[in-house]
Parts: sequence; C-alpha cells; structure tokens
Amino acid sequence: MRALLLAALWLHLASSLLLMGAFFMLLLAGAPRASAARRWDQAVVAGSRVLVLLALGSGIVWLLVRTALFESRAQAALDPRAVLRAVLDTWPGFVWLARHGVLLVLAAFLATRPDVGERRNWIAARAEALLLAALALALVSGSSHAAAITPGTLRAVAVDVAHLVGTGLWLGGLVALALLLRAAGRDDDAEARAYAVRAARRFSRAALLVMIVLMASGVMNAIAQVESIAGLAGTTHGRLLLAKLAVLVPILVLAAVNRTRILPALSGPDAMRRLAAFVALEAVLALVLLGLAAAMTLTTPARHGEPVWPLPFRLSLDALLDVPATRWRALLGTQLATAGVVGLMVSFLLRRRRAPVLAGALALVAVGAGIGLPPLVVDAYPTTYRRPLVTYHAASIASGMATYHEHCAACHGAAGAGDGTLADLRSPPASRRHAGELFWLVSHGTPARGMPAFGGRLAERRRWDVINFIRLLGAADASRTIGRRVEPDRAWLVAPDFTVAVGPMAPGALRDHRGRRMVLVVLYTLPGSRARMTELARSYDVLWIMGVEVIAVPRHASPEAIGELGSSPPVLFPVVTDGNADIVATYGMFAPGPHAELLVDRQGYIRAIWEGATGGMPQAAAVQAQVEKLNEEKSPPPFPDDHVH
Amino acid sequence: MPVWQVALVLNLTLAVGLALGYAAWGRRAEALDREFGDARVQVERLERERAACAAGARAGEQQWEGRGVVRAIYPQLLVITHEEIRGLLPARTTSFRAAPPALRESIRVGDPIRFSLRGTVADDAALVALERW
Repeated sequence: MRALLLAALWLHLASSLLLMGAFFMLLLAGAPRASAARRWDQAVVAGSRVLVLLALGSGIVWLLVRTALFESRAQAALDPRAVLRAVLDTWPGFVWLARHGVLLVLAAFLATRPDVGERRNWIAARAEALLLAALALALVSGSSHAAAITPGTLRAVAVDVAHLVGTGLWLGGLVALALLLRAAGRDDDAEARAYAVRAARRFSRAALLVMIVLMASGVMNAIAQVESIAGLAGTTHGRLLLAKLAVLVPILVLAAVNRTRILPALSGPDAMRRLAAFVALEAVLALVLLGLAAAMTLTTPARHGEPVWPLPFRLSLDALLDVPATRWRALLGTQLATAGVVGLMVSFLLRRRRAPVLAGALALVAVGAGIGLPPLVVDAYPTTYRRPLVTYHAASIASGMATYHEHCAACHGAAGAGDGTLADLRSPPASRRHAGELFWLVSHGTPARGMPAFGGRLAERRRWDVINFIRLLGAADASRTIGRRVEPDRAWLVAPDFTVAVGPMAPGALRDHRGRRMVLVVLYTLPGSRARMTELARSYDVLWIMGVEVIAVPRHASPEAIGELGSSPPVLFPVVTDGNADIVATYGMFAPGPHAELLVDRQGYIRAIWEGATGGMPQAAAVQAQVEKLNEEKSPPPFPDDHVH
Repeated sequence: MPVWQVALVLNLTLAVGLALGYAAWGRRAEALDREFGDARVQVERLERERAACAAGARAGEQQWEGRGVVRAIYPQLLVITHEEIRGLLPARTTSFRAAPPALRESIRVGDPIRFSLRGTVADDAALVALERW
C-alpha cells in the first residue's frame, strides 16, 4: 500500500515538475520560427497535455490510497463518503482540492489549442500555462512537512515553495532542452540549430541561478527538518537525504561538464547529439533524485525520529578536555585540513597545473584529518542520540535513586563518586557521556570491566530513572559552587521539575512558572523552621510583587501541613501536601539539612541556595536582594531542556 | 478573442475566484467560530442563572461551583486557594465574602472544601455554601 502511495506521489510530482519546466524552457527559448523549432514547440505542448492528465490521474490515485491508509482499511479507498471526508475535512485534502482545481483549469486551457501565430499570443499562452503549473506545484508545499513547522510556518513554506519551483524549472527545463537538442541535431537546418544553441546557453545561465536557489533552500529545509548530524545519519528520513545528496554529486559533475566543455563547442550535429544524451542522462538522474525526495515526504521528519547512531564512534570536542596534550595535535590537524580546503578552492580557479594542485590539496586534507580527528574520537553506541523516555523530574529521580541503591551502589558507591570498586559516575568520562550512551551501558553492561547488563532486569523506564539520578549526582556535586549570592548571568544548574500538589486539588508543576515567575523552593521542618515560615508568610506579598512565587515543601507529606503552619499571619503560598518524599529526596541532594531555600529563576535554573544547617536561616532582606539581582538580568538564557543529555 | 486576452481574463478570474472563495467561505467559517463561542458562553451563563434561581436567588444572579483549600479565615472573608471556577476565575488564591457568617465556623485553615458562590460578577460573588471535600 505504501509502495503504491510512493509510486503515485512520484508520478504526480514528476509530471507536475516536468509540466512547469517545459513551459519555462519554451519561454526561455523564445517564439520559434524555424520549422524544426516549431515542431519541437508543438511536441512539448502535446507532451504537456499528457503530463497534466498524468498529474491529475496520479493525484486521484494518491488521494484514494491515502484515504485507505488514513482510515486504515483498504475498502475506504472506494467508499465515496470516506474519500469525501478526506478531501473536505482534512487540511491536506483541502490543499489537494485546490491543487487539482488548478490542474483542471490548466488541462482545459491546454485542450483549447488556440491559434498562437502572433508572437504576443504565443507568449501569453505559454506564460499562462507556466503560471498555472507553478501555482499547482507551489500548493504542494501547503500540506508538506514544511507546513507543520511552528513557529515560522510561513518562512518554512516559502523556502519549500522555492525548492519545489526551482526543481520544476531545472528538471522540466532539462527534459524539454534534451528534446530540442535531439530534434536540432537530427535536422540539417542551420536556423534550428542556432535556435537550439541559443536556448541551451540561456538555460545554462538560468540553471546556474536555479541551482544556487535549490541548494540554499535545500540546506534551509534540511536544517529545519533534520536539525542534527544524528538525525541525518540515524533516521530513515536523514539517510534518504544522504542518498539524495549522493545522487546530486554525479548530476552536478555532468552539469559542470556540459557547461564548461560541451556547450562552448556546440556547433555540429554530433556535439549537439552528445549534449542531448548528456542532458537526458542528467534528467534521468534527477528523476531518481525525485523518487528519493518523494520517499522523504512520506517518512517522519528526522527531527521527530529517534536516531539510531550507525557508527561505533563519534567526534567530540569534549574529548580534548581530558587529555590536554592532544589539543595541539587536533589544532595542527585542523590547520592542515583548512589549508587543504583553501588549496582545493584555488585549484578550481586555476587554468593550468590544476591536477598537481588538486592532488596536493587533497593530500593535505587527508593528512590533516588523519592527524586532527583521532584525538576527537570517542566511543558511541546505537542509542547515543536517543532522547530519554522520562523527563528530569523529581518523581523519576527518586525512583532512580531507589533503583540505584538497590542495584548500583554496591559497586559504584552510595555517592557514585568512585567510592565503590567501579567507575566514578560524577566525573569524566562518565559525566561527559550522552544520556543515550549511559542508557546503552546500563542496558548492555561492559563485561570486560565487570559491569553487568541490566537490560533484562530493569524495565526501560527504570533504566532512564537511574540515568536521571546519575545526572542529579553530578549536578549536586557541582552545585556546591552555588552559594547564597546570585552570580549574574551564570545560569547552569537546572532545577528538576516536580509536582505541586496542594490538598486534593488538581496538581500543578514547578515548570508552570517558567517564563513567568521566579520560585523560592522552601524545604522546611517544624518546629525548627517556624520563625522563618512566619517571616515568609508576612513578606509573601512583597515577594509576589517582586515576581516570586514561594512553594513550601514540608519534609513529610501530610494533609494537615497547611493547618500546622498556623493561621496568624495567614500562609497564602502553596504548601505541598503530597509527593513530598520525591521533592525532598531530589532537592535534599543540593541542600541537605532540616531547612533549605533554593531560588529558581524565571528560566528554570537554580541560582542561589540557602541552607539552614550552615549559616543559619536566610533573612528576608537577603533573599529579596538576590531576587532583585535576578530582576536586573537583561538577557535570560534559553529554557533548559526537559530531558537530560 | 486572441490568446493573450484569454490569458488575462483567466488570471483575473482566478484572482477574483480566490478572493470570493475567502470572502464567502473563509470569513464565514471565522464568523461561525466566533458565534459558536459566544453562544456557548451565553448557554453557560444561563445555566448558572437557572441554578441560582432554583436555589432561591434574585433575578440576574448566577451561581458558580468551586473546589479549593482554606488558607485564612477573617470575620467577613475567607481566603481560598482554588481550582479554576468555570465562567468566573482561573485557578489562584482569592478572598471571598462569606454571605452567612456562620459558614466559617465549620472549617479550619488547611481544610479542603467544595463551595458555591452567588453573585452577578466576580467582584460581588459571595460564598453561600461550603462543605468539606
């Protein structure tokens, strides 16, 4: 079923693109006078009549198959009500309707066979057909992957339209040009040959421009849809794109040969026939390229996929941090490689002695890569770029902590700091590994070093929980540098999210405050904290006006927690009455002791920590002074990711 | 008619067709959406008014139901952290006038409660009934 969908889509796209490019080529060549040129013009128009019918037919097949897939039953394709629903009630269906409406108008226009003897009429007829074909093609973007990008939908769609229309101009132009060259090469008509040569030169100039637009829009599309190297190498969508690029290389080589070698010497019928053959070959490769592009539109964009890293290694600049001696090597290698790339560019500009310069440049690049890359190589696994299944949340961390103490602490030590017999989890290399790599190591173990595999023993969620906890171990260790004073513009310690459950009401979350308010997380124990809690209740209105929400978390969950704080002065900030153990376990890692306060900025980073055990209770004025510092910050960092890395 | 004129007419027709299509269909869909939203708000308001009437309120008054936790008790006011009260307030902490002062005698700070409010707007909505949740 999917193969049929792909075939229909390919045929539909190919005929739409050829249709548009054909009329572009006709207009580029100009109104024909010689009889051979006239015959070519007639043949192209006759061909376009077939193409528009093909586009309509394959479009209808595509719609029927898509309806069947959409309703996940084959009979739906022939059920008029289901098809009507797919057309009228879905956005892609609506776009389909508009596109095929335009194609129908085009078909009717082409069927009229008007008299185009006068030059003005010829131009009007061909330009109108070009306009309609371009409109039909541009509408394809309306329901493409680009239309699903938010924010910036309009920009993404505009880039996609440029890519599609550019492809149409280039591919359709190529096919029409090949036909013209063949016709002119066969005839012994000098006028027709001159016409063909002029057309080929004009197309060559236009195609260069179109190719630049195509590459620019292609790169922008790829950045929007693939986003990362991992997406490119590790997902079906990304690999199709790589295949597409691989097909593009011979096309560009062919185009370059045509432009620089054959086109300048285009005189006799032989050269013309050879160029026709080369151009036809380029067009066939372009149709293969189109097949890959069609397959890409039917796969999930790489940015939504789960990449499976195909190589046993990856390159990472972090690797240099651990072994300072390798930095020089990497630096030398990159310098050499850069010199090689410059040499490559120079060799393309040279007219003489190009071959030795080219060879030397390539050798430099190879040697540079050979010297510079090995120090950057670190181990990688198929799951290296997997996104964690669970977010960095107190509930997950607490569950991970329990699992860790049960299964991991015996070897890695209770603090994970190498106090056991196995690796230190808080410092490099463990701390520099991607979460996905830790997941692989936890799941499959490293038998050589005595680490068992937990893939069969712990459910996937629990393994991710453990990884969240390992990240917290590292973060808690590093958090000792965060004191009672906010360091301006230094936000790095992500506050783990937690659930704020006040009484039996629908619970909220810490992250609900992101972008709106700072949060003072207060972990307290009665009766020791009573004086400070009273002071907080009194100064709550001031804190609120300064942009702070206070969330109080008693060390033990109790439905009576609010009442226990007393009613004079009234306590109006949220007091968590459920799920406290998770929060205390998580935030207690940053600040152990009976009373602690953590100031979280608007972006969701912990910026100051007051710990009752060391230095006594925080003063209201001291807290407000730090809040003021945060209010003065001009350029907030981006929101932290919900998952660990 | 020469082809260039046909092409011109065709383009004009396309442009006019698109404009008319948007005017007739796109704008009507937007208007219908708006009307639907307005109607739903009105239905909710009428339903609250009917509920209030059934509970013996004066004409024009509405009734709202809410759930929350008591945070502070004053002689005339109750401060309640509440969930969203549909048609009146989002989830937040609000102080409400207690219409029968006796209401506050049955509760303590920290109690989860369900409550009924009656009034015409948010500013004059007063607590008319509450019970432990």
